[in-house]
Amino acid sequence: MSAPLPELLAPAQSQAAQPRGRARGQGRTRNLRIWLPAGFLILLFCACFLWPLVYPVPKPVGGSILNSGLPPLSPGHIFGTDPVGNDIFSRILYGGQVSFEVGLSVTAIGLVIGGLLGVAAAYWGGAADTVISRVLDVLIAFPALVLALAIAEGLGPSELHVIWALAFFSIPAFGRIARSATLSLRGQTFMLAARLSGTRGHRMILRHVVPNIMPQLLTFSLLGIGVVMILEGALSFLGLGIPLPEPSWGSMIAQGQQTISASPDLVLIPSAFLFATVVSLNVLGDALRERWGVR
Amino acid sequence: MGRPVSDALLEVQDLRVTFGGDGRGREVRAVDGVSYSVYAGQTLAVVGESGSGKTVSCRAVMGLLPPSAAVTGSARFQGVQLIGLTDDQLREHRGANVAMVFQDPARSLNPTMRIGTQIAEAVQTHHHVSKAQAREQAVELLRLVHMPLPERRCVEYPHQLSGGMRQRVMIAIALACRPRLLIADEATTALDVTTQAQIMELLLELQAELGMALMLISHDLGLAASYADEVIVMYAGRIVEQAPAARLFEQVRMPYTQALFEAIPRLERPAHTPLPVIGGRPPDAASLPQGCSFAPRCRRAADDCRAAAPPLAEHEPGHRWACWHPVGGPDAD
Amino acid sequence: MQTSAAPLLQVQDLVQEFTVRETGGVRGGTVHAVSGVTFDVRPGETLGIVGETGSGKSTLARAVLQAPRPKSGAVLFRGADLVTLRGTRLLQARRHLQMVFQDPFGSLDPKWKVRDLVEEPLIAYKTGDRNTRRRRVDEVLEMVGLDPAGHGGRRPRELSGGQAQRVAIARAVALSPALIICDEAVSSLDVLIQAQVLNLFEQLRAELGLSYLFIAHDLALVKQVSDRVAVMYLGKLCEVGPGETVYRQPLHPYTRALLDSVPGSPQARAKKTIRGEPPSPIHPPSGCRFRTRCPRAEQRCADEEPAMRELATGHSVACHFPLVPVARSTLRSEEKIGEAPR
Repeated sequence: MSAPLPELLAPAQSQAAQPRGRARGQGRTRNLRIWLPAGFLILLFCACFLWPLVYPVPKPVGGSILNSGLPPLSPGHIFGTDPVGNDIFSRILYGGQVSFEVGLSVTAIGLVIGGLLGVAAAYWGGAADTVISRVLDVLIAFPALVLALAIAEGLGPSELHVIWALAFFSIPAFGRIARSATLSLRGQTFMLAARLSGTRGHRMILRHVVPNIMPQLLTFSLLGIGVVMILEGALSFLGLGIPLPEPSWGSMIAQGQQTISASPDLVLIPSAFLFATVVSLNVLGDALRERWGVR
Repeated sequence: MGRPVSDALLEVQDLRVTFGGDGRGREVRAVDGVSYSVYAGQTLAVVGESGSGKTVSCRAVMGLLPPSAAVTGSARFQGVQLIGLTDDQLREHRGANVAMVFQDPARSLNPTMRIGTQIAEAVQTHHHVSKAQAREQAVELLRLVHMPLPERRCVEYPHQLSGGMRQRVMIAIALACRPRLLIADEATTALDVTTQAQIMELLLELQAELGMALMLISHDLGLAASYADEVIVMYAGRIVEQAPAARLFEQVRMPYTQALFEAIPRLERPAHTPLPVIGGRPPDAASLPQGCSFAPRCRRAADDCRAAAPPLAEHEPGHRWACWHPVGGPDAD
Repeated sequence: MQTSAAPLLQVQDLVQEFTVRETGGVRGGTVHAVSGVTFDVRPGETLGIVGETGSGKSTLARAVLQAPRPKSGAVLFRGADLVTLRGTRLLQARRHLQMVFQDPFGSLDPKWKVRDLVEEPLIAYKTGDRNTRRRRVDEVLEMVGLDPAGHGGRRPRELSGGQAQRVAIARAVALSPALIICDEAVSSLDVLIQAQVLNLFEQLRAELGLSYLFIAHDLALVKQVSDRVAVMYLGKLCEVGPGETVYRQPLHPYTRALLDSVPGSPQARAKKTIRGEPPSPIHPPSGCRFRTRCPRAEQRCADEEPAMRELATGHSVACHFPLVPVARSTLRSEEKIGEAPR
């Protein structure tokens, strides 16, 4: 539409259009930083969930000891097998499922519950804000790992318990982001204008608050998924997460640690996948944050 | 203008500033061939709306544009070419020769530093004095700008001062090294009218006292009328009219300037008189029309206006304009 | 212009204050933003309120709209006192009172489309069904000079300042209000666009029979659009009267100072400028708030707050020593003869 750098070219009066997330570099590379990681993540997601349905892979557990310790690129086992005889490739796929499941569900829980709490606290203020903020503070004070340990100890390790434990830290994280985003929104003139137009309570939240804080929450989610995946990996690494012999990238790394000098690929392969996924999420999150002008 | 150009403190010739656009080859011509001179002791006002290029052209002279800006042309300060200097070389000029006061003092002052420290810092940039001496000079400078209780102000923070006082601090900082030329970029736009009058009086007083040249950049034609010796009107990156202030207001020639005059609310006008208005908006700087940039909106536009851009020429002594069919000309209505 | 009908808006003794907490060296306290303001707006008239930063004029506008509710005072709009109403009753009473803000982009939700923005009040007040609303939106967009097909689907970011302000005006006009409060509604627009929008205000005034409460810091601007003008300083009204009279024969020294400060012609520079800085609204001066900068101030000004008195028909001033024109024939009471206006 009009020239770039609106601040420079129209400085004096009109507040002019809000600068659309400054383009660092040309448009093409910016799009690349969105589509490349997004493409990779979508591919990986589909592979983890759909490949085993479409194309038969060996089971991730219950491998025969006769197959143990095969190196990568062996016939029938692209990534080789682990000391117990399980196919690494299929363990990567199923382990990826776990990572995505945990990452997405914890983030979704945080986004919905934490987001709602944060928005409610900021929008209604007063007593509601005090109560909710203190609750969130309490939740955030809980060290996730210690909590996971307690849960694992008490209830036994499982994927569901991991999700509960991590939700304890995801909810307040989203809560605080949502709360501060809503607070800064509350002072904006268009909110007053909307109220003067007659729009009330829940409609204000749904149609004015949510669309305006969504970019911030979504970019935070993307970065958050990565963090959650790593935490799940750490918990599984410590034996507090997905119980063996079910695969998880974290526990695969832990197992591989024992034979790291003999067969480093047992550590490297799951690490590489975890790394690539988290980096993609981060790059995508950053690029979107820029694109949407989120501060 | 009647004076030999070599007398000029600042001489700008054919200044052009383009921004590369968004990588799709669209070039934004923010300043499209601007030439003017500023003389010692003179007050020159550059008037234009948003997007006219008035601020960009002054920042180009000061070297304050981002690297994506391509600046060509010449801007000589007392003979020294400013375009193309490195940052270090420019720093010598900034403050000592040319100083700038900006629009929003709230954003130009460091909110975490005390006033005295900020002024002292400006002093120390160009003079090798001790901190104590710099502090003393800071107090003196505040006195120069008529700041009440200058010693007390020195230990205060910007947020403790009003807009007018902050602007005085900005002026004090700008004057720290007695510049030959002070550029006030919309310096009073954000101020109340009474404060604006005070600040403008102050600037004129300082100009007389220190023998400075003063450049006022503003969208406010009334301000230019009241306080400037010479007025330049810019539109779409070019100068469209230039004349001494009094002459401009008696005998405006360029239809755009006339439109600006007519659009300003005046106290003398009775209430509810419809303002003579021209429609449309300034052209997109990335796609300037071939002929006169104002032709699409001009009541007097004819085919020759759309075909070729009129050159800026001194049609009457001391009065330059760029128009094929000026107001009051032979084809006056 | 002035009918004998009951006033549309009656503001009586409006007081608005808010507390500021102590932050980094600046002591906290109560900001006396609006301290007992009384005025009327009659049907079909435009009342202009002119005041500088710190005068409280924007706070006044929001207090009238109950956003937030003023500390005390009455705001009678079409007979109903908005201060006493809550919830739906307030909403209904406020239906015909709308506002246009200073920042055109700031007052429009950046995520919404133009069409939805203008439709919002119609939805909130449940006027008609979908089709009726859509038609009204188109009608109103055209009224303000926008193209429903071309502009309706855009977002505020895709508009210019003038266009965005037109959208805000369209939204304000959608419910056929009786009174529109314009809070610096053209101050952030370029001169030529400002003129266009001002003409639009006048046009709507004539077509729709609107009244305006026009608030701005530019005296010439306010006089241009208003029938009557009120001058505000530090939370109080100094002078109220017909625009032309206030301009030609200002009674309050502050009004005089404002007039003198308006840059306009090469002669303007010769006039005196006002001294000093505006005092803080947290600690306003006792008695007359303008006395610290007034060239005519005396002891009485510090001891006693001047009341608003009508010195000529429709022309009131709150000053112990008003500037009174040499001819005394229009005076209602014995007053000290002051400086003749220049």
